[in-house]
Amino acid sequence: MKKFLTAIFAMASTTCALAQETTTSPLEISGSVDTYFKYDFAKQPNITTSFASDHNSISLGMIDLVLKKKTGKASFVGELSFGPRGQTQSIPDAASGGSSFHIQNLYVNYEFTDQFSMTAGYMGTFIGYEVISPVGNFNYSTSYLFTNGPFQNAGIKATYKFSDKVSLMAGLFNDWNVYSATRGVSAVGGQLMVAPVEGWTAYLNVLSGAGGGGYGTIEDLTTSYQITEKFKLGLNAANYDVDNDGGGYSGVALYPQYAVADAVTLGLRGEYFKTKNIGGAGATKYTAVTFTANIKSGGLTFIPEIRMDHNGDKPFVKENLMAAPNAGQFSLAAVYAF
Amino acid sequence: MKYTLILFLAVFSIKLSAQQKQFPKDDNGKFIYYKVVDSQVLSKKILLERAVSFINDVQKKNLKQETLTDTSITAKGKLVIDKTILVAGHPSGEVSYNFVFEARDGKYRFWLTDFEFIPYKRDRYGNFVASTNIGTPLEKTVSKLSIGEWKDIQSSAYLKAIKFGEELKKYVATEKVNKKTAKAPETISTKKW
Repeated sequence: MKKFLTAIFAMASTTCALAQETTTSPLEISGSVDTYFKYDFAKQPNITTSFASDHNSISLGMIDLVLKKKTGKASFVGELSFGPRGQTQSIPDAASGGSSFHIQNLYVNYEFTDQFSMTAGYMGTFIGYEVISPVGNFNYSTSYLFTNGPFQNAGIKATYKFSDKVSLMAGLFNDWNVYSATRGVSAVGGQLMVAPVEGWTAYLNVLSGAGGGGYGTIEDLTTSYQITEKFKLGLNAANYDVDNDGGGYSGVALYPQYAVADAVTLGLRGEYFKTKNIGGAGATKYTAVTFTANIKSGGLTFIPEIRMDHNGDKPFVKENLMAAPNAGQFSLAAVYAF
Repeated sequence: MKYTLILFLAVFSIKLSAQQKQFPKDDNGKFIYYKVVDSQVLSKKILLERAVSFINDVQKKNLKQETLTDTSITAKGKLVIDKTILVAGHPSGEVSYNFVFEARDGKYRFWLTDFEFIPYKRDRYGNFVASTNIGTPLEKTVSKLSIGEWKDIQSSAYLKAIKFGEELKKYVATEKVNKKTAKAPETISTKKW
């Protein structure tokens, strides 16, 4: 760790010295740290979405470190995370055994023109509303859509910006969540971004090829609209079909958020999620409602949250381990961004 | 003891100076950065030409021209606010503003006003992007939870506005060198010595 920090310091110092002679931008350093307490009303881990998994424990999220640098038209981003949220709870661990680190982003980008750029490496997925980093999400727990979709994609992509209101991305990718392909460069993906009115941005995404559970295709809509200074509405809808009756999922999540004060925003996540039959059986449906507050003070955000999930097939358990259709939990997280 | 006193005075001066890094307000209670510059030998036409060039060439990434008359030019601009960690940092937001430049023979004035802050957030790719399209007026009084950070943003915007103003004054005062007639870079010969 000491060597790592020394290296960062040396790089940053060099950047400052060189910046006087070239048009190189300074090295950007940012990141976050998060920790949480969760209490499951069934007194054991019950809701199986990603992260915040420990019951009745003050547990660690991760420390996330991001480096970015731009020299002329070329830039890179390197983002590493250490801790349960960033290694054992997000795939893959950089070394086997669940005790290493996780690469969140590691890519290079080149802007050929102001409109056209290409990016290659390992990147946060372009699919979906929620992300791995707690700084990027309003809710601390995650949705079923996030948990079942891709987290990251390694690949090469080209983006053309027609205007501030329209851009198009197309790329070739490995299978989901792997540093190197297990089935070759086997997926194609695209994203159309449109911003119809100021404050409203929508992403129409498609990813087809090798992924979770086999070869398949995801269609995804992710959009958010800052309707007034205080009110924001987000929406994520997705459909995933795995070839040869191999399952998949579909679902929709709505994210209304309202700022009740400068430092306090309240938000709701309402989700409907359905897994599809595998070989003609196994489909099931979830509904989930999560009420979350974000209380900010400087770089620190407190996130108290209550979540209630329902599934008629009774995948949850009661305190006495009997099957139950409902599950609930309370969590309190602290996320510091720097 | 002497060194302690000097250290105390130095720290006190820095603190005092930090408190003074603040925009004055105009008649409407809005923050403003306002300067009148005496340029003596330069005509109104030249002053305006240089201001137009400053907006559309030098600052074209951060300023967008709005209107142009024979005595004035207006533009919308942004100042990127940085958060520093040790010797490096990252952008934490931007302050948008309206810029007005008015010229007369031998003098000009300019001001920046209507400052609004838009915070950045880190996106899924590790880049900092605007988190909203609706800015918060920089004069706004915020709650106690956010006041420290808000004052830092106000101070940073003020320093950036000063830097912008100095760059503008320097550019307007400098005669443009024609690239074709510019002096070739000096070469060193090792054949004669």
